[in-house]
Amino acid sequence: MMDSYFDILSALILLSSFLLMSHKRIKSYIKTFRIQSSLIALTAGIMGMDSLIREGSFDILIVCVIIVLLKVIYIPRLLHRTYGTVEYKVEKDFYLNIPLLILICCGLVVFAYFSVSNIGSLDGAHLNLQVVNSLSVILIGFFFMISRKKAIGQMIGFLVIENGIFVTAFFSTHGMPFVVDIGIFIDMITAILIMGVMVTRINEKFESINLDKLKNLKG
Amino acid sequence: MGLFLWLTPLLAALLSIIIKKTKLLHAVSILSATTLLFLAGYATVAVTANGTLQYPWFWNLFYIDALSVILLDIVAVISLFVSVHAVGYLNGELRQGTLRESKIRLFYLLMHTFLFTMVLALTVNNLGILWIAIEGTTLASTFLVGFHNDKHTLEAAWKYVIICSVGIAVALVGIIFLHLSSVDLIDPNRALQWTVLYQNAEHLNSPVLRLSFLFILIGFGTKAGLAPMHTWLPDAHSQAPSPISALLSGVLLNSALYSVIRVLSIVNKNLGDSHFTGRIMIGFGVLSIAVAALFILTQRDYKRLLAYSSIEHMGVITLAMGIFTPISIFAGLYHMINHSLTKSMLFLASGNILQKYGTRNITGVRGLAKVLPVSGTAFFLGLFAISGAPPFSIFASEISVFLSAFAEGRPLLGAVVILLLAAVFAGIAAALFRIFFGEAPDSCKPGETNLPGAIVLILMLILISVSGLYLPAPVKELLTSAQEIIAWNGTI
Amino acid sequence: MSVFTPDLISGLISNFIQFILLLLLAPLSGGIIKKVKALSQKRKGAPVLQMYFDLWKLIRKESVVSDTASWIFKVTPYIVFSASATAALLVPVTTLLPSAVSGDILLLIYLLALGRFFMCLSALDTGSTFGGMGASRESMISALIEPSMLVSVFTVGLISGSTAIDEMMAAMRTIGNPLLHPVYILCFFAMIIIILAETSRIPVDDPSTHLELTMVHEAMLLEYSGRQLALMEYGAAIKQLIFLTLLVNLFLPTDQLIALAGISGASAAVDAVGVAGITAGAGAAGAVTGTAASAVSAAAVIVALVLYILKIILASLVIAVTEISTVKFRFFSIPNLAALSFILAFLGFLQYFVLGR
Repeated sequence: MMDSYFDILSALILLSSFLLMSHKRIKSYIKTFRIQSSLIALTAGIMGMDSLIREGSFDILIVCVIIVLLKVIYIPRLLHRTYGTVEYKVEKDFYLNIPLLILICCGLVVFAYFSVSNIGSLDGAHLNLQVVNSLSVILIGFFFMISRKKAIGQMIGFLVIENGIFVTAFFSTHGMPFVVDIGIFIDMITAILIMGVMVTRINEKFESINLDKLKNLKG
Repeated sequence: MGLFLWLTPLLAALLSIIIKKTKLLHAVSILSATTLLFLAGYATVAVTANGTLQYPWFWNLFYIDALSVILLDIVAVISLFVSVHAVGYLNGELRQGTLRESKIRLFYLLMHTFLFTMVLALTVNNLGILWIAIEGTTLASTFLVGFHNDKHTLEAAWKYVIICSVGIAVALVGIIFLHLSSVDLIDPNRALQWTVLYQNAEHLNSPVLRLSFLFILIGFGTKAGLAPMHTWLPDAHSQAPSPISALLSGVLLNSALYSVIRVLSIVNKNLGDSHFTGRIMIGFGVLSIAVAALFILTQRDYKRLLAYSSIEHMGVITLAMGIFTPISIFAGLYHMINHSLTKSMLFLASGNILQKYGTRNITGVRGLAKVLPVSGTAFFLGLFAISGAPPFSIFASEISVFLSAFAEGRPLLGAVVILLLAAVFAGIAAALFRIFFGEAPDSCKPGETNLPGAIVLILMLILISVSGLYLPAPVKELLTSAQEIIAWNGTI
Repeated sequence: MSVFTPDLISGLISNFIQFILLLLLAPLSGGIIKKVKALSQKRKGAPVLQMYFDLWKLIRKESVVSDTASWIFKVTPYIVFSASATAALLVPVTTLLPSAVSGDILLLIYLLALGRFFMCLSALDTGSTFGGMGASRESMISALIEPSMLVSVFTVGLISGSTAIDEMMAAMRTIGNPLLHPVYILCFFAMIIIILAETSRIPVDDPSTHLELTMVHEAMLLEYSGRQLALMEYGAAIKQLIFLTLLVNLFLPTDQLIALAGISGASAAVDAVGVAGITAGAGAAGAVTGTAASAVSAAAVIVALVLYILKIILASLVIAVTEISTVKFRFFSIPNLAALSFILAFLGFLQYFVLGR
């Protein structure tokens, strides 16, 4: 029963990263990221309740609360603020057209499927499915970073990768050890803050956050 | 005692926030680095005596053995050299007006945080925390790379933070799979602990472990600057202030490789041989050397030249670890030490040159022997050393790596690598003579500007020349025990 | 022995009843959607039954045919209507009733495609610019949406082990709640997008517009009048109901609930049909369900039909809400929507392979 909920959630999280890929505007990126994070928080919540009932440990529930505070509330707000300070014109943000991007993402899912199914020794169809889905989220995050030109798009790609890693950890091993989880959160929030500052500075110096302009250093 | 290893850099970072006077900041920095060196010495003695140094607090988190203590010593030595050199460097920048005095605090704050994360990475037992520390090094050094805040440094810093963060994220996936391969075996309280994983290595789930090794190699390999994930490295190393370049190249790359080596030994123990890991590691190693050789031959910027040379040497170390014989592991670790010392000396010298000539371009630097007698000589000899010429220590370790390749029955591999290194040598030598001799431009007044830096350079030069001829017995012993840690029973 | 066994005859009768029901209900769902949209705009709106009145009015009027039109223009309304009506014959309203006609879902899709093909031809036939534009747009949309339709249909077919519509519906009943299963939920969303595109609903096409820049389906009907227009519009309404029926009967099966509620005789029928749907071939299924039919009580059938009508109303409401809450896409954004629906279907397909049934 639990597994079937997680199956659905993993599929929905994967779907949300496809949605992200199909969006054109940075505001919709942020909105989709928020949806994805909420789904992850939901996953963590279900898992946390389960472990509370079974083992009486609060660890995963705490992680869930942190996810809500950080990824659902704070980071999207931070991104909106960064976006507000730097963006004053709408430009095309991607190199290839969207249907093509989405088809390539489909290919990535197939790739994830084959690479995981080659392991063979992951036990159980459910674990397999969840790991395939969450690995695909990571791959799509990578591809999102490659496919977007703007700095904020890359930040969001990074966050999606992070989300994908988180769900991979959740689905495959019910989360990392608690200390490690907390450390990862600290790193992540620092990374995002730093990237936010960098985006503002890049916007000041280059008068755009289009990363095509960052090509002075070569060779 | 061990806790002070973490506290010292943290304390120095905190003090850098509070203190406003520049001179006091310099003093704190040097004091902290000296303390760190002292503590590292203590750890070395303890490890030589007992094999390991660990304490029961924080879930047995603190753990040092021969492998980590070697790298810890490198961190301590180089951080002392760098902080002494940084005093002169920063004062030089202040004089030239390229730096505001208020930013010195930020510099020291970030530098000590950077050192803290590196020390943390080398002294923890938990692979998860190790990951966090390595990611921490990226975050702490991002603004150091972008310190001058102009178009070029910003570009370098952006590339650095994005590529490394993403690369490290890949490594995290690998660590998750490592956890997955052990999750039914190991007590959750000791999950991801290096020692426990290593003890139970034979029982881990091999296919998952293989996948995890791939992810971890690519992830930490990005941070270590292995080709083709190296693209951030030349930019970051050339745009960062020179003391930071020295730290990045001399220490950071090693820490990243250290993480790979830890996992490598678990995987090899699990699989029973090094065929799987060896092929991949050797592939990355040779590719890195080849890419570096290509770019060194056409390089016009001497800091970038040094950066590419770092990629090359990381390639050599990876290659040595890929061959995975006792000799090659020993040689690889030895090479780590030598490369760190030589490369950071070169970067420090290049900082002096950059301040004097105001250009990174090789063609802009002429008559170095007259203008900067000490830094120039250090740079000249250092470049010789880094390209693998005797009698310097790099020659000794590099030749052992090749010999181990031949001894392992891979003559083709050895030949290819030697050919590539010859290309590197040619590239560096071509740059070298143009720089060192010739008429200096009129704008450059002869004479050293960074006096503490010059002393440091002389010390380092002595160090690398002597260690090329004579390796002290304790160091040799330490290297041997580190090698035994990596290769579980001294074979394969 | 005669070909017309009692089973076959009762099956045919029930098919006919369901067919009539579909035809009768067809204009209703459009009416509900329009009414909800009107209410959301604080208008009173036309009555729910307005489309029946319209059709009745149009049928009595004379058709005006352009001088340049050829025979294609004249036969198209009949082809469109009969294609839709034939397709309606294949779709069971409830799986409790016996069925003598076992239609393949591919047949259904391409029957509807036949109607659309002639519609495009006739739109080109009169030589009007709008017609040509509408035809080209319609063909593009249908070409874009077809892959996702096929993939999602095949995925459902893979799970139910058949592409015959009644067997698919029977198999879906045995799954419990399909919307709690990753494969189905993805196919379900894909199907919703497909329905929006196929029935000319708002993100793709605006059924109520007559603005030349945006209209697609309306542009093709522009030249028609009187009885011919009535047939075309009726055909479109039937097509919409067919898709809604497929959606609700495949993804929100309720017939098993009737069995659970213990309404007399139903459980026997459910068991029999369930077994038939999974194990028996297409021909045998008709016979087995035919025998089981005698066990179905009238009460169970009536409950099933009421539930069906409720589900259709619900689906219409969902579509109405989608129409209210979205805007029409730029025509060149439609490939994005089609790609999204394709990946939904494709992911569902892939999940099936990872997870199995």
